[in-house]
Amino acid sequence: MISHIRPILTVALLGSLVFLGSCKSDSINGGENNFDRAAMLSNYGNNTILPAYLNLQDATVSLETSADAFIEDPTESTLSILQSDLKAARLAWQEANIFQFGPAESVTLRASLNTYPADTSQIKSNIESGDYTLGTIENRAAVGFPALDFLLHGIGESNQEIVSIYSEGELAASFQAYLQDNITFIKQKVDDTATEWSADGGNYLATFLSEENAGTDVGSSLGMLINATVLHYERFFRDGKIGIPAGVRSAGVRRPVATEAHFGGYSLELALANLEAIQRLFKGAGIDGSQDVGLEENLEALDAAELSTEINTEIDQAVTALEELNDPLSGQIESDNEPVLNTFKELQDIVRLLKVDMTSVLGVTITYQDNDGD
Amino acid sequence: MGMKEYLTSQKSAAPLAMFRVLFGFIMVVSIIRFALNGWIYELYVKPDFFFTYYGFEWVTPLGEVGMYLLFLVMGLAAVGIMLGYYYRVAAVLFFLAFSYVELIDKTNYLNHYYFVSIISFLLIIVPAHRYFSLDVMRRSDLEVSTVPSWTINILKLQLGLVYFYAGLAKLNPDWLFNAMPLKLWLPANAHLPLIGPLLEYTSTAYLFSWTGAFYDLFIVFFLLYKPTRKFAYVAVIAFHLMTSALFQIGMFPYIMILCTLIYFSEEFHEQCIAKLRELWSKVAIWKSEVTGTSQHTSKKRSLTLSKSASTILTVVLVLHFLLQVLVPLRFALYPGNLFWTEEGYRFSWRVMLMEKAGYATFHVRNSETGKSWEVSNWEHLTPNQEKMMSTQPDMILQFAHHLEDKYKQQGLEDVEIKAEAYVTLNGRRSRLMIDPEVDLTEESRGFEHKEWILPYPDNQKSWLGSNSR
Repeated sequence: MISHIRPILTVALLGSLVFLGSCKSDSINGGENNFDRAAMLSNYGNNTILPAYLNLQDATVSLETSADAFIEDPTESTLSILQSDLKAARLAWQEANIFQFGPAESVTLRASLNTYPADTSQIKSNIESGDYTLGTIENRAAVGFPALDFLLHGIGESNQEIVSIYSEGELAASFQAYLQDNITFIKQKVDDTATEWSADGGNYLATFLSEENAGTDVGSSLGMLINATVLHYERFFRDGKIGIPAGVRSAGVRRPVATEAHFGGYSLELALANLEAIQRLFKGAGIDGSQDVGLEENLEALDAAELSTEINTEIDQAVTALEELNDPLSGQIESDNEPVLNTFKELQDIVRLLKVDMTSVLGVTITYQDNDGD
Repeated sequence: MGMKEYLTSQKSAAPLAMFRVLFGFIMVVSIIRFALNGWIYELYVKPDFFFTYYGFEWVTPLGEVGMYLLFLVMGLAAVGIMLGYYYRVAAVLFFLAFSYVELIDKTNYLNHYYFVSIISFLLIIVPAHRYFSLDVMRRSDLEVSTVPSWTINILKLQLGLVYFYAGLAKLNPDWLFNAMPLKLWLPANAHLPLIGPLLEYTSTAYLFSWTGAFYDLFIVFFLLYKPTRKFAYVAVIAFHLMTSALFQIGMFPYIMILCTLIYFSEEFHEQCIAKLRELWSKVAIWKSEVTGTSQHTSKKRSLTLSKSASTILTVVLVLHFLLQVLVPLRFALYPGNLFWTEEGYRFSWRVMLMEKAGYATFHVRNSETGKSWEVSNWEHLTPNQEKMMSTQPDMILQFAHHLEDKYKQQGLEDVEIKAEAYVTLNGRRSRLMIDPEVDLTEESRGFEHKEWILPYPDNQKSWLGSNSR
C-alpha cells in the first residue's frame, strides 16, 4: 500500500529511515518482536483449555455414575462417594471456569453450572411441585454445583439424616429425581462445551488457533482469552469467591452464605485451586504439568520482564494469603473476617497488573462492549 | 487577488453542492450503521447514568422512543442535506440533533463526531442547496451558478485546521521517539495479509508514526497546490484506508476521504455533477418522468448577500475560527502532563495519541457508622463507560458525585468516596492517577486545574518535555 503514495511519502520514508538509523539502540532494545504468539495459543488450546474441559467431562461422568449408585442404594457410604465425586468435579471446574468465551459462552456454561449462593427455597419448591425446567432464568440459582452442594450436604444435619431423606423421606423419589435431573443438566452443558472444542466435534480449537485469530485485536483468540481471564479474575474469583462473602460489595455486611461451597465447607479449597489454575495459565503450564510458552514469556519478549516477575510474586503472595485462611470459609468470615479482607486486598493488587499493565503491554484491549474509537 | 479572491470573488457553486451531497450521503450511511449496530439502545437507552459535559447537564437522553425518534429526525435531515431538499431546515435539524446526541455522554466523545458537528454548523451558513438540488427543482428562482468563494474556503480552512492540529499534536516525544502508541497497536493486526508480518517490527511503528505526523501536518498544503493535488489525494485515500484497516475507527476514514474532495477544482466538481445528472436522467427516463434535470441548462446567476447578512456572517465566522484556533491550545493554561490529566484534551484533534488503560476502585466510608466498602462499578456503568471513566479524571469525579447522590437516596447522608485509580499511559507501568486520600464528594467540577490529580512522575513540567521511561 505504501508504494502507491510514493510521490509524497518518499520524503517521509527517507526521513524516517535516517531517523531510525540514528536510533539504533532503541530498535534493538524494543526489538523486532520474535515472540511466537501462535505457539503460545497452541499451548493454551492444546494443553490447558481443551484438557480442562475433557477433565471436567470425565468428572461429570463419575458424578453421574456415583449418583446412580447412591440412588440405587442410598447409604452413608454411597453418599460419601458421591460427595467426594462432587468435590472432584467442582475442583475440575476451577480449571475450566476461566475460559468463558466461544462455546462456553454460547451454552452459558458458567451461569448454568455455578451460580451461587443456591436458592434453597426455589430448589425445595421445585422438588415439592415436581414441575420445573432446569436451565430457565428463574432456576438459575437452583441448578448446577451449588444446588448439588445443598442437595448432598445441606438438606440434613448429618449424612445419616441426608441418606434418610433420599431413602425413606416423604419426598424421597422427588429428591432422587431432582438430583439426577440436575446432574444430567450439568453433564449436558459440559458435554456440549467439550464437544464444541474437540477436533472430532465442533473443532473450536481450530478456530482458536487459526491464523486470522492470531492477532491481539478485538475478537482475536488472545483478545478473548485475556478478556475472559481478566473478567473471571475480577468478578468471579476475587469478588465471587472472596469479596462478596466478606461483605466488600454489600456495604460491609458479611454474607457467609454466599461462599461457593457453603454446605460442603470447602470453598477455600476451590478458591485456591482456581488461583493456582490462573497462575499456571500465566506461566504457560499445562494441566498435566507440562511447561511451555505462556503470557509470562510473552511479556518478557515485550520488554516487560519486570511486570511478569511482579505478577508472579503477587500471585504467590495471594496464594499464601489464601492458604492462611481456614475452611469452612463461611466460619472464618463469621468469626474473624479481618484476614479475609486482607486477602481480598492482596487479590485486588493483581487486578490492576493483569487488567491495566499486562493488557497495555500486550496491546490487548479490554472490550466488553463494541464501539468505535479515534 | 488578495483577500477578495478568497472571500467575495464568485466561484462555481459545484464544489459546494458536491460537498453537500457527499457529506449528506456519508452521514446517512453512518446513521444507518450506528442504528444497525444497536448503538442507539446500547449507548443512549441502556445506561443508568450519563457523563454530561460541564455546563451541559441539561442535555439528557430522551428515553427509548425519544432517542429512536431523534435518530430518525437526524437521518431524515441527512437525507435532506444530501438531496438539498428544504436544505436549511435539514442542516439546522441535523446540526442540533447530532450535537445533542453527542453532548449526552462524554464516554462516546470522538474527534470525528466533533468534526461532524462543526461541518454541519458551517453547512447551515453556506448556500449549498442553490445548485444541483431538489430545492432548485422545487423553486427555480433559488438556483445560482456561482457563489462567493468564502462559502467554499471556510470548509477548506476547517479541514486544514483539523489536519494541521492533528499533526501538531503528534509532535510529542512519545509519538516521535518512542513510536508510542503505534508500537503497541500495530502488532494487533499481525494476522493481516501482506502487511501483517511487517507490523510486528518496531521500525514499522516508527515509520508509521513519522509518516502519520508528516501527513497530518502537510497534506492540506499538497491538496491546495494544484500540481501536487492528485498525488496528495491518492495519499489521502491510502492513509485513511490504512487507518481503517488497522484501527477500529468506524466511519471517520471515509468521511475524510469524501470531504477532502472539496480541495479539487471547480471543473472537477462540475464534471462530477454532470455525471450524476446523466445518471439521474437515465433513471428519470426509465421512470418515464420528464424532470428539469434531464435537460439542464445552468442559469448564469450569482449569489450576493445583503450588507447586514454579510456583517452577521463575518462576525459569526471570525468568532468560529478564532475559537477553532484557540480551543486546541487551551491545554497550555494547565500545569502537568496533558495526556495524564486530560485537562484541555478534548476538542483539539488529538487523535490516536495514547494508549491509556485504567482500573479505578472507589472506596466508600460511611462517616456515621465507620463502615467501609468498595463500589462495584459495573453495577452502575456500562463496560464502555467504566473503561473511559477509569482513565479520565473529570469522569472519575463525576462518577464519585453520582455515587454520592445514589447513597443519599438510600439514606446515607454523609459518605466519603475516595478513588484508587491505577492508570497506564503508552505501555508504561501503571501509577496512581488520583490522590487516594482525597474525598471526591468534597471536590467540585469545573474548568480550573484539579489539584487532586497526582502529577505524572515522568514528565511534570511540560507537554513537550522528556517522556522517557
